[in-house]
Amino acid sequence: MVVTKKTLIIITLALTTILAFAQDDNLGNDSSVYKKRVLETIEIDVLSSYYVQDGSNAAVTGGIGTEELEDFATNINISIPLNADDVLTIDGTISAYTSASSSNLNPFSGASSGDDDDDERDGDDDDSITGSPWSASSGASKHDTWSSGNIGYSHSSDDRNNIWSANINFASEYDYTSYGAGGSFTKLFNQQNTEIGVKTNIYLDTWKPQYPTEIIKYIHNDGDLFVGFFQDVDILDNVGNVVDKSDPDIWHPISNTLIEDKGRDTYSVSLSFSQILGQNSQISVFSDIVMQKGWLANPMQRVYFADKSNYFIGEADDIPNYTSPSNQDVFQLADDIERLPDTRLKTPIGMRFNYYLNEYFVLRNYYRYYFDDWGIKSHTANVEVPIKVSNSFTLYPSYRYYTQSKSDYFAPFDEHLSTEEFYTSDYDLSEFNSSQYGFEIQYNDIFTKAHLWLVGLKTINLNYSYYKRNTGLEAHIISLGIKFILDK
Amino acid sequence: MKNRIILLILLTILLSGCANVKGYQKANLSDPDMTLSDRKSKKFETTFQIYREGASGANGGKSGGGCGCN
Repeated sequence: MVVTKKTLIIITLALTTILAFAQDDNLGNDSSVYKKRVLETIEIDVLSSYYVQDGSNAAVTGGIGTEELEDFATNINISIPLNADDVLTIDGTISAYTSASSSNLNPFSGASSGDDDDDERDGDDDDSITGSPWSASSGASKHDTWSSGNIGYSHSSDDRNNIWSANINFASEYDYTSYGAGGSFTKLFNQQNTEIGVKTNIYLDTWKPQYPTEIIKYIHNDGDLFVGFFQDVDILDNVGNVVDKSDPDIWHPISNTLIEDKGRDTYSVSLSFSQILGQNSQISVFSDIVMQKGWLANPMQRVYFADKSNYFIGEADDIPNYTSPSNQDVFQLADDIERLPDTRLKTPIGMRFNYYLNEYFVLRNYYRYYFDDWGIKSHTANVEVPIKVSNSFTLYPSYRYYTQSKSDYFAPFDEHLSTEEFYTSDYDLSEFNSSQYGFEIQYNDIFTKAHLWLVGLKTINLNYSYYKRNTGLEAHIISLGIKFILDK
Repeated sequence: MKNRIILLILLTILLSGCANVKGYQKANLSDPDMTLSDRKSKKFETTFQIYREGASGANGGKSGGGCGCN
């Protein structure tokens, strides 16, 4: 904490120094002669997207298994000018997804015991219990809705050289809720050729933890494999033999400890600096410091240990093909849930450089270097070239390259050792690189000719991106954005 | 952290002296495509990148919290 205080003092001193210099510059600035409204009229942005992905490294099933996922999301953002200086922003998002890996929180179709079973097919007469990391279960966790809301307020000074803003937000999903708040201050000087900003945010999340079925049932039954979920269910060993469930040496999770601290807090400070380099180019450099603490692992995600015997539920014939998508009928019982440290310090440093080539082309470049204390280092580069084909249409081809090293706590399926303190088989924390190819077309109605009731159409954006990771994950996303402005 | 603050101050001093573009010379810089941030249409792309990648932040988007991700 001493370091934190010291850091805050340094930030405060640095900003005070810079802002003090900036004050002198403002004396000669005559921009307050005419005060243009920050926002002329109410603006409404509606953005909808469809996202689909597939891969073979699902974290819920320990680093192998289908990652098939579909997501429909819609965001509505309304900016309201309260007066010449102040703008109120209201933002809401709803996202509904269907996920094969989430469904495999309980992969055991046909499982019928237990009062809070997750399987919608319960109650039928079929007593055979099967499941696989390679197929979606019919469990209730297959579907979910994520929703969030944000209210922001910003105030600009008369000379437009100082901008203050504040926001509060809320987000909810079936396994957590989040409350957040933030504030920012931006200072422009040097005849608005230079801009510096500082932003802080805090998010207070609370888990409503969901666990892999076999682990939570085992703990609830005090390790008794003859009651509840495990009643009348055969457990198979590595070669497909039915084991004696009274043998204390057969399968059991290595820990009976579930989430102890349901909180997950995030604190961030962002610094930014922007500079006009000439009549056609400008640059910005920015950095965040993000501190997270609390339960940072995902309790849904299974881990399997190399030094523990393997046990299964399902069809013995599929055990030799367990890691192959051809396995549709057997599931390996987890050794534990993912365990990760209760703190994480993330440090991304980014840069943007935009260059106006001519009236047809603009170059937009972005680079980010990132490191954290979990061992991940990454580089991100993005190039986008807006092409103005007419007054009304702009095309946006883009390419993004991303690479990261693996977290200190990552190992693939069945490669961790039970002696480790922290472990995950989540491939989002593995070493990989990815490429993303994007194309967008924007229609711009300069004079807002098209009207719908009291609002006029300003822009329409249609975007498609293809994302491919060298681990095999592929994703497609298509977005449609429409911007309206309220008639004056 | 201290190094970054020093770098920020140095950048401010160095780069603020390199240009003094007047308001009437900013026509090209005022082009919406010259904005030094992601376009709004990229919002959901940024969201899935935060979910699918170990790194996040420094892109004007959310830096954590409220997303069920690491």
